[in-house]
Amino acid sequence: MHARLRREPTAGALAFVLNLPSGLCLLLILAWPVLYAGWLSLHDVSLRQLRTGELPFAGLANYARLFGDEIFWLTLRNTVVFVGVSVALEVVIALAVALIIDDDRVGLSRVTRVLLLVPWGVPPVVNGLLWAFIFNTQYGYLNRALLVLGLVREPVNWLGHPQLAMGAVIAAYVWRTTPFNILLYHAGLRGIPRDYYEAAEVDGASAWRRLWHITLPLLRPVIAVSLILRTTFGFMVFDEIFAITQGGPGNATWTASWYTYRAAFQPPFNVGLGAASAWVMALILAVAGVAYARVVGRRLEA
Amino acid sequence: MRLSPTRRALLTLANVGVIAFLLIPLLPVVMGALQSERALQSDLRALLPRQPTLANFELILTGGAHRGPIFEQVTYLPKSVERFPAAFMNSVAVATSVSLLTLVFASFSAYTAARLRLAWVKALLSLSVAARLVPLIVLMVPLYVLFRRYGLLNSLSGVVIAEIGFLLPYAVLILVPYFAALPGELEDAARIDGCTRFGAFLRIVLPLAAPGLAACATIMFILSWHELLIPLIVVSRPEVMTVPVVLAGLVSDYFVFFTLMMAICLLGLLPTLVLVLVLQKYVVRGLVAGALKG
Repeated sequence: MHARLRREPTAGALAFVLNLPSGLCLLLILAWPVLYAGWLSLHDVSLRQLRTGELPFAGLANYARLFGDEIFWLTLRNTVVFVGVSVALEVVIALAVALIIDDDRVGLSRVTRVLLLVPWGVPPVVNGLLWAFIFNTQYGYLNRALLVLGLVREPVNWLGHPQLAMGAVIAAYVWRTTPFNILLYHAGLRGIPRDYYEAAEVDGASAWRRLWHITLPLLRPVIAVSLILRTTFGFMVFDEIFAITQGGPGNATWTASWYTYRAAFQPPFNVGLGAASAWVMALILAVAGVAYARVVGRRLEA
Repeated sequence: MRLSPTRRALLTLANVGVIAFLLIPLLPVVMGALQSERALQSDLRALLPRQPTLANFELILTGGAHRGPIFEQVTYLPKSVERFPAAFMNSVAVATSVSLLTLVFASFSAYTAARLRLAWVKALLSLSVAARLVPLIVLMVPLYVLFRRYGLLNSLSGVVIAEIGFLLPYAVLILVPYFAALPGELEDAARIDGCTRFGAFLRIVLPLAAPGLAACATIMFILSWHELLIPLIVVSRPEVMTVPVVLAGLVSDYFVFFTLMMAICLLGLLPTLVLVLVLQKYVVRGLVAGALKG
């Protein structure tokens, strides 16, 4: 038997071979491109240079242009608004829903659990198109419903006002992404031992105090993970912006991904500038990434 | 725990509100898809289609060939209509390849991370956690330049490669907790009986982790099916477009045919919606595992 075991590769060799495919993918399709984006951001890259294949060194010109661009700062402000509002809504709505369906004796709670993933299953670009239809001034279903209910006399131009348009994009995005948080919180609630609540009930603690002193503290690690995930993903929102407003009206719904996309992939195809803005974005998100790795790492060791 | 009848009734009522929140935004898609543009425009207060019709679906599923009375006199049809059937097949091919390849690669890595206690494997796992948060657009700017240089633009393999790079770290995070939760004794017993480590992985660990593999494959398929930005940047020729790219093409002319747009949307969202509902148990566990236990 010993001879047999000796013939097989050591754990280290096996781990090396088994990690080769994903290691190579990580290196070639993720790490290298991201570093290469940094290199591109220091060079003059647009369609003409891409055709000739010669990318002249540009120093920090792309960054200078980026930081001198009013729209870039507006984009950052829009992104902060978008992320702040959508994350807050995602957390609050998801917590409320998770608490509502936590008890099996609540009517239809099983139905809700089955339907929970419906918005998550909708392709983001479809989600964008469907909300674009909902919010359409003339034919949209929101105005139809409001007119029928007599809540408005005239159709509202939802996507024509800066604040309303931002609200529309946030509504569409939050509808699609909140179910993910609900799942996490639901799982988190299931992990809390029921005896805690029973003990608290015996001691005469009100439902409100049980929520405040048992549920929320024990749910904190889950909420922390969801905050980090939702913040970074909100930062990257693209499909809904693309399908609902295309950044408009004016630049009112330009967010981080949209800015980079417009800079690099729409006329005048300034890939260097796009790379610079992408790197600034990545830097901002790296902070969130480190925090996430810490939180998850701690859970792994626990 | 006690649950008073009043409390229960209130919670049930709130729960009905939750179900409405989940489903109501999908109603306009169905309502729009089931009527003609003329009917939609004729009454701006109507919520239900007056004369329900499947004409939109007939037109799309035949790639614009079967026009029927409603579209007979229409001179302009969105390009997305004729592109949809081919795009559907492209999406099936891309999502299937991405799902299978990430599953194989990720299961190798996740096994080593969960079972072989090596420091550098753990470091690789933390790298996956960080990689999951790389913004896609940050990846796509350089990938566009690289793909252009290596002739991968306008090819489905280019789309598949980019999606694997983006999704693989997440697939690893989903699978690790499934492998880590398996009892080690079975594997040890197999090894004492003469199985190699890799043999035990193939014959013992993988079959036992089947629910995790199903969860991972399903989630990867869905995320690939949903992906817009990658194919939007990699692909510009109609014959290699995927469903989200064809749908995105509607943005520039959607004011023309809302009803047709909703019908295409419905066909585009149906596959993943059905998957999510049928394989709900796996998807739920996989999503929770990938976020909380990775």
